[in-house]
Amino acid sequence: MTGAMRKLEITGLTKTFPGRRKAPPVEALGGVDLHVDEGELVSLIGTSGCGKSTLLRIVGGLERADGGEVLVDGEPVIGPGPDRGMIFQGYSLFPWLTVAGNINFGLKLAGVPSGRRSQRVAELLGVMGLAEHAGRLPRELSGGMRQRVAIARALAPEPDVLLLDEPFGALDAQTRLSMHEFLRSVWHRTGATILMVTHDVDEAVYLSRRVYVMHAHPGRIVDEVQLPFEPGLGPSIKRSPQFLDIRDEIHEALVSEDAAEREPASSS
Amino acid sequence: MPTGSAASAGTAAATSAPAASRPSPAPAGRGRGKGRGRRPILLLELRSQLPGYVRWLLAALGLAAVFALWLWAASRPSRTVIVPSPGDTWTALRELWTDGLLWSDLTASGERILYGYSISMAIGIVLGVAMGSLLAVEATFEAPIAFMRYVPAAALTPLMMSWLGIDESPKITLIVLGTVFFNVLMVGDVARAVPRELIEASYTLGARRTTVLGRIVFRHSLPGIIDVARINLAAAWLMLVVSELLAANEGLAFRIIKAQRFKNYDTMFAVLLVFGVVGVVTDLALRWLRNLSSPWARP
Repeated sequence: MTGAMRKLEITGLTKTFPGRRKAPPVEALGGVDLHVDEGELVSLIGTSGCGKSTLLRIVGGLERADGGEVLVDGEPVIGPGPDRGMIFQGYSLFPWLTVAGNINFGLKLAGVPSGRRSQRVAELLGVMGLAEHAGRLPRELSGGMRQRVAIARALAPEPDVLLLDEPFGALDAQTRLSMHEFLRSVWHRTGATILMVTHDVDEAVYLSRRVYVMHAHPGRIVDEVQLPFEPGLGPSIKRSPQFLDIRDEIHEALVSEDAAEREPASSS
Repeated sequence: MPTGSAASAGTAAATSAPAASRPSPAPAGRGRGKGRGRRPILLLELRSQLPGYVRWLLAALGLAAVFALWLWAASRPSRTVIVPSPGDTWTALRELWTDGLLWSDLTASGERILYGYSISMAIGIVLGVAMGSLLAVEATFEAPIAFMRYVPAAALTPLMMSWLGIDESPKITLIVLGTVFFNVLMVGDVARAVPRELIEASYTLGARRTTVLGRIVFRHSLPGIIDVARINLAAAWLMLVVSELLAANEGLAFRIIKAQRFKNYDTMFAVLLVFGVVGVVTDLALRWLRNLSSPWARP
């Protein structure tokens, strides 16, 4: 592998949810290994119910694993903390706080002195293109703008890893595309280490340096694709043959699971 | 009126010419009118908006109807059901005011409500937020509260008077008992409705449990809690009346009992009016407080 520093390292992660009533237990994760290097943007892709969100929640400390290990900078994760900023699909902004108040929230908890705080908030408002909306409440913002605030809020305490749980899933197609550009620019400017969960193949291929493909029952990683694109290339790469080939390859990797599920006898 | 299928009633006149040149719409199958769909009827559309002036007009109509009913009842000669006229009631109200009785009754009753209901809300907020956030607290308190909720608080009046005497403490206790169980359960529901994402987001931003309870769960619940206070305040007044009916020297309900002894129907009506007005005023004040404290939660 590359000589880059391992920021996030997951080994042998297992998680089983007890079945409701008489239903059998659900094996959400059956021994997952993955890693994210410092400054890398990695996507985890899979159909719904494959355990990808469970994995992200375990990394975030919001869910406990049954077995295995999650290390951030070599230290085991035992609960939620500001070193792992998390961005949810939606509705996670504090509705009574303004845009600036939301971004300020984590800084205040961290005990950052107020002068430094307002400086950092102003800086993030600028980076996120939110400066003129600083005093607005979340309900006055569009969906895309809300997610930008959520990203700014998670970035404010300078987390080691940023965890994105289908962050653009609830947005309309146009907004999603502009958010892709936005996330790319944020990633370039901040050099953040990002693990993103998605079910959108184009999104994963366009944004990531590396993509893990997950299958369900039990949740496991079946494929890992290194993306060859130079970071900083615009949306035109989406039409390049290479991009389309990789996209098809990942689509196939995802679909093979469906085939296996339909005919359990033929699965390996 | 020959309207096209897509034309609304409002533009029917304007579209009549093009409609004529088009092939005539298929014979209406089910509807009585021409064209497809069910024509909307003003005032009868479920969940639709009303123009502001229509709202005010209807509200005025409702009040006028009640007043007319009162006038009619007062004009009916009867030896048993005696209804004082609005004029007599107004005179009685002015007399109560000039005697200073109205003010002393209002403050006596208001103080009981204030103390009793503040205690009840304080317990309701602390226990309710805890029950809505912690399954352990909910599991512990749910059964006893569900049981106590079904014991009519008014039935505890004799017991409270034997235990606590006849001064203020049994009255305040009765107001607490008559409202606290509803407050706890309803605040619990409000706290339970705090989106999970908000709690999880604040954990990942470095918040501790106590911080989350105070700064997130309570803050998000605040408008809902004020609404709970607003709704259950009526039950507090009910318990106040029960307690004043049995033993009191002053207070609004006491004034009604006293008026009954002298068959002062106009005074009784005057006090009933005061109850209604005080209720509406506190209701509006709490709504205002909710909107002021949490403009983001305005419907």
